[in-house]
Amino acid sequence: MTGATRGSDVRFALLTSIVLAVFPFAFHAIDGYAGLATQILIVSIASIGFNLLLGYTGLLSYGHAMFYGGGGYVAAILLIRLMPDHPNLWLAVIGATLAATILALLVGALAVRLYGIYFALLTLAFAQMVFFIVEQAKDWTSGDDGLQSFPNALLPLGPYNVDLGTALPSVPLGPFGNLADIKLWYIFAALVLFCVLLLMRALTRSQFGEVLTAIRENEERSSLVGFNAAAYRLAAFAISGALTGLSGSLRALYDGTVAVESLGIDRSGSFVIYTIVGGVQALFGPVVGSAVIMYLESVLSAHISYWRLVEGVIFVAVIIFLPAGIVGTLSERFSGRAKSRALLVQTVRADSGK
Amino acid sequence: MVALSQALLNGVVLGLIYVAIAVGLTIVFGTLRLVNFAHGAFYAIGAYVGLVVAQTWGLGAGFIAAPIAVAIFAILLDRFLLRPFYAKDATSQILVTFGIALIVEETLKLIFGATTQQYPVPAALATSFSLGAITYPAYRLLFALGVIVMLVLVWFFIERTDYGLIVRAGVRDRTMVQLLGGNIRQASTIVFALGAAIAGLVGAAASPIYSIAPGTGFAFLVPSFVVVVVGGLGSFWGAVLGGLLIGELQSVTTLVFPPAANVIIYLCMALVLLLRPQGLLGESEVIRQ
Repeated sequence: MTGATRGSDVRFALLTSIVLAVFPFAFHAIDGYAGLATQILIVSIASIGFNLLLGYTGLLSYGHAMFYGGGGYVAAILLIRLMPDHPNLWLAVIGATLAATILALLVGALAVRLYGIYFALLTLAFAQMVFFIVEQAKDWTSGDDGLQSFPNALLPLGPYNVDLGTALPSVPLGPFGNLADIKLWYIFAALVLFCVLLLMRALTRSQFGEVLTAIRENEERSSLVGFNAAAYRLAAFAISGALTGLSGSLRALYDGTVAVESLGIDRSGSFVIYTIVGGVQALFGPVVGSAVIMYLESVLSAHISYWRLVEGVIFVAVIIFLPAGIVGTLSERFSGRAKSRALLVQTVRADSGK
Repeated sequence: MVALSQALLNGVVLGLIYVAIAVGLTIVFGTLRLVNFAHGAFYAIGAYVGLVVAQTWGLGAGFIAAPIAVAIFAILLDRFLLRPFYAKDATSQILVTFGIALIVEETLKLIFGATTQQYPVPAALATSFSLGAITYPAYRLLFALGVIVMLVLVWFFIERTDYGLIVRAGVRDRTMVQLLGGNIRQASTIVFALGAAIAGLVGAAASPIYSIAPGTGFAFLVPSFVVVVVGGLGSFWGAVLGGLLIGELQSVTTLVFPPAANVIIYLCMALVLLLRPQGLLGESEVIRQ
């Protein structure tokens, strides 16, 4: 690894941690409550997973709720059935993520042979099956009622059992009042998201990411060069499902409840919306998209009844006018401006040299 | 036995609704190569327009107003929003039509409220037919007959008119039709409006049978995709066969083992996608698009 890329890695890690640390304070200043900030970070993990598929393989999954809701249900059921007395957060989350990975491998093995509409409809079909099976398996899932009041999972860290529900000391923010309702959960979610971002950055910059892009652009050529396109797609699908399952399990544990809607079509559609609005093929696109839409939902739905209409209009407007999404458009703008400035500097220098 | 015949009849009625929605989806896909997630919205708009008009001028007027209103909406959509997307990949089309579906559903919710509504069956039709041992509501039977008549007309349009010829030729080879001077653009708009109008009419006609809510369109759209996939994307007879098959399957499973009624149709869809992606009656060359 060269010094330059190591430097950019350090800068990336530093900037990301600063943004994650400042986020709840800035968010508080614009009326976002700390609980929502935590939920945004958690859901972002699923959107990032979704985007690995849409952004890097070009495959639109219409069934990612099966991993999200599936992760939530597995975590809840593990806590209720296996460890009612010693609820262990690590075990619940890892178990749920593993289950989502296995489901993704099974569905993916069948789905990655299909493209476009056929891929979207097959993932939709599997998600619908999972939805209705969970809804009907009332003994385990309580059907439409969902699962509530499962044991509050503790996070074993060495000799301590940490309760992530512990409130952090209140922070005075001058004219913005006090940031009082923030819990340890935020720090935990931020750490997990941080690791996921690092992983995604490494993944998309590795040979794996390059091959995925090559397959998306020209599958035939990539196959002729010797890459097994289906295997690469399956790997991307499995990682995508795993991240979504991880996100779903964290959300269920954070909320302390998991509902059957977390497996539904609307949930699958929400990942599509978050990712498109934020920007596909941009590492932070899904994070920004999740943050913007979830924030607007929270703020606007308090004042207007037709928030979802606004959401639909934003979504369609982004598709038509900003196909690269918020992050993609901004980074194009900036890199374009940087390029033209560099060009200008070059020209000026060349002229003055004469 | 009575219960089974009843379930089979219910399956036919449900299946015919699926067929009627799926026919629009499938001919639009066949001619425009457009994957339309907003097709369910046409059903919902038709249902509400039908409801409003029927409350003042009677059910018959609702049946006329609904398809006209939906066709106008579809033409505007085609002209001002969807055109740039016809040449794009399926993913972009799914995204934009999904967005349109979202907007329509929420607009309906804003205008009519989120509550479920139902238009009562007119008194003259609120009787029941006796068919041997079973009795069946007259309106449902008439509805089924109406859908069959409509399907015959659509079939006639596609198979026996010049527009239909352009449509069918366009499914095979768009470029060639254009080279030979067929106005595929105009034909496409007509097909799009026709598919939408059918969905709108069915929405209005089905509202005395099934209740209406803003989300009804999407709720019918998803099984309609099952129907289209099972029958074969782009195939008219595929939609007919798939619709009746899925309607019966759902209805009979509801009788025999209710918890599986919804799972089984998606299982069916997954199996078809994996084993015969072009569908039961679809042509295999349509698939890799």
